[in-house]
Amino acid sequence: MNLKISALDYIQEVKIGNISAEDFVAKTIERIQSVDDKLHAFLSINDKAVDQAREIDKRIKSGKKIGNCFGMPISIKDNICIKDSKTTCASKMLENFIAPYDATVITKLKQQDAIFVGKVNMDEFAMGLSTEFSAYGPSKNPWNIEYVPGGSSGGSAVSVSAFECIASLGSDTGGSVRNPASFCSTVGYKPTYGLISRYGLISYANSIEQIGPLTRTVKDSAFMLNLISGIDSNDNTTVDNKNEDYLSGIESGIEGKKIGIIKEMIGDGIDPAVLSATKDAIAKLEGLGAICEEISIDMVKYSVAAYYTITATEAGSNLARYDNIRYGYDFPLEGYEFNSYISKARRNFGPEVTRRMIIGGFVPSAGHAGKYFLKALKVKSKLTKEINEAFKKFDFLISPTVPILPFKIGEKIDDPISLFLVDINTVTANLTGKPAISIPFSNSNGLPIGIQLMADSMNDKSLLQAAYALEQTVNLPEVPI
Amino acid sequence: MVTEEEIEHVSKLMRIDVDDHKKYVEKVNMMISYFDILDSAGVDSEEITMPETSISNLRKDEYIAYDDKLIEKLNHYKGTYVRAPKMSS
Repeated sequence: MNLKISALDYIQEVKIGNISAEDFVAKTIERIQSVDDKLHAFLSINDKAVDQAREIDKRIKSGKKIGNCFGMPISIKDNICIKDSKTTCASKMLENFIAPYDATVITKLKQQDAIFVGKVNMDEFAMGLSTEFSAYGPSKNPWNIEYVPGGSSGGSAVSVSAFECIASLGSDTGGSVRNPASFCSTVGYKPTYGLISRYGLISYANSIEQIGPLTRTVKDSAFMLNLISGIDSNDNTTVDNKNEDYLSGIESGIEGKKIGIIKEMIGDGIDPAVLSATKDAIAKLEGLGAICEEISIDMVKYSVAAYYTITATEAGSNLARYDNIRYGYDFPLEGYEFNSYISKARRNFGPEVTRRMIIGGFVPSAGHAGKYFLKALKVKSKLTKEINEAFKKFDFLISPTVPILPFKIGEKIDDPISLFLVDINTVTANLTGKPAISIPFSNSNGLPIGIQLMADSMNDKSLLQAAYALEQTVNLPEVPI
Repeated sequence: MVTEEEIEHVSKLMRIDVDDHKKYVEKVNMMISYFDILDSAGVDSEEITMPETSISNLRKDEYIAYDDKLIEKLNHYKGTYVRAPKMSS
C-alpha cells in the first residue's frame, strides 16, 4: 500500500477498485502509530476512522452515491471544531473541551466522505510559528527531528509530510499554514480573506485569519479549495465565489504573466541558501515565459510590528471569554469562583498566550493606542494601497515563504524579536487579505525551502495555475522518515 | 519602555493573574519596544479603512433551533438532576 500518493491519485485508485478506503485508512493509522511517537503531530486520534472507512467501502460496493473524497484520510488542526471530539487549541485551558458542533469546513468535508484521522498539534491558540508553544510539547520536523516543523499549523504540515494523512486543514493568521508548509516541504494555501468560512474555527485574530489546506501537490490544494470554499450564512465575512472550479485549467501555464519580486522580502537577514533558491525559482518562471521584475513595497518593513499589534489586540478580546464561567477550564463544582474578578482558570494559559494578552491590553489602551494600535491600522491601510498598486502592474508577487531555513527546537524560543522576523514574508498576505501559497521548491542540507506566490483578491484560481507551473519545475528528495 | 507597574495594571485589566510579573515584564518589554519601528513608518496622515457590512447583508436576527440536546452534555448529573455550583458563599 503506497501511503505517499496524492489526494487525486487516491480518489482515482479507490474509484477503479485498486485500493479500498478501509485498507488505506487502516494503514494510515498504523503509520501514525509507528512514527508519531517521534514526530508528535497528533493530539488525538479518531478511533472510529477504520469503521467509517469500511462504511464508505460498503456504499461504494452497493453503488450508492459517494462524496468526492472517497474516504480520504485528513488531519485537522486542533482549533477547528469537530462535533463530539476534543478541540484543545493545544492549550490546557481547553484540555477537556468537546466541541458541540461541526465547523462549516468539517460539515462540507463530511458531506464529501472525508475521514478525519485525528486532530493535530499547533502553537497554543495558534500563537507562534514553530509549534514549540503547544501546551502538549512541540512537533518535530520529519526532515530532521531536531528541527522545528514551523507553525502554528505544525502538526498539519508534519502529518502530510510524513504520510500520516493525505491532506490537512490548518489556519493562517500571519503565515501559520504557509510557514510550516515551507519548513516541511508541503504545499500550503492561504486563500483570499472570506473565501473559506471561519465558523467553528476558534478565533485568534478574526479580521485577518483564514482556514487553508496543506497538501502534497498544488492540484490537491485546488481540489480541497473546491470542497471547502464558498459563502456561509454563519460567517458574514465570507464571499460568494460562484462555485468556482479551481482545478479546471490549472495546467494553463504562466506565459506572458508578470511577476513582481518584492525587494524587502529578499533583503537583510535572508539565508544565502534561501536567496539562491528564490533566484532559481525566478529563473525557472522566466523559463516558462513569465516576465519578472523587482518591486519595492515600502510598508513591508513595518508589517510585522503592525501584525503583532493588531493580532494581540484581537486576541486579548477573543480570549476574554475563557473565564471558567462561560468558556474554558472547568473547575469541580466546589471550585467555582463567581465572586472573584480574576478566575484562577486563566492561569491555564501558557506563557506566550499570556504575554500576547498583556500586549493586547497595552497597545490599544488609552494613552498608548495612538502610538501603537492606530498606527498599526494605518500601516495596514498603506500596505494594502501599496499592494493594490503593485497588482495593477503585476499578476503575481514572489518571495521566499520564510527568509531562513528551519531552525533547531529551542534555538529561538527565548528571543521573541528573532521569531518576529521569521514572519516578515507571510504577514503581508494576511494584513491585505490577499491569497498566497507556499510551494516546496528546494532543499538545503536536508532542510526544505518553500517559495511563496501571492495574487490579488479573488484571483485564487490564477494563483493556483502559477503555483502548479512552478511545481512542475521541481524535483525534490523524499522525506527521510 | 514599559514599567513593571504598567504591566501589572494591564495584566489586571486583562484578568491575568501571574505570580511572577518580573518574568513577563522583560519579554513583553522587548516585544513592545520592537513596535517603536511603527514611528518611522510615516503614516500619520494615513486614513484607517475598515471593512463595512451593511445591515441588509447580515443574517436575519432570528432564533435557529439547535437540534442537539446540549443539556445531556453537562457533566454533573445526580440521578435526573443536574448539579450546579453554589451561587453564594
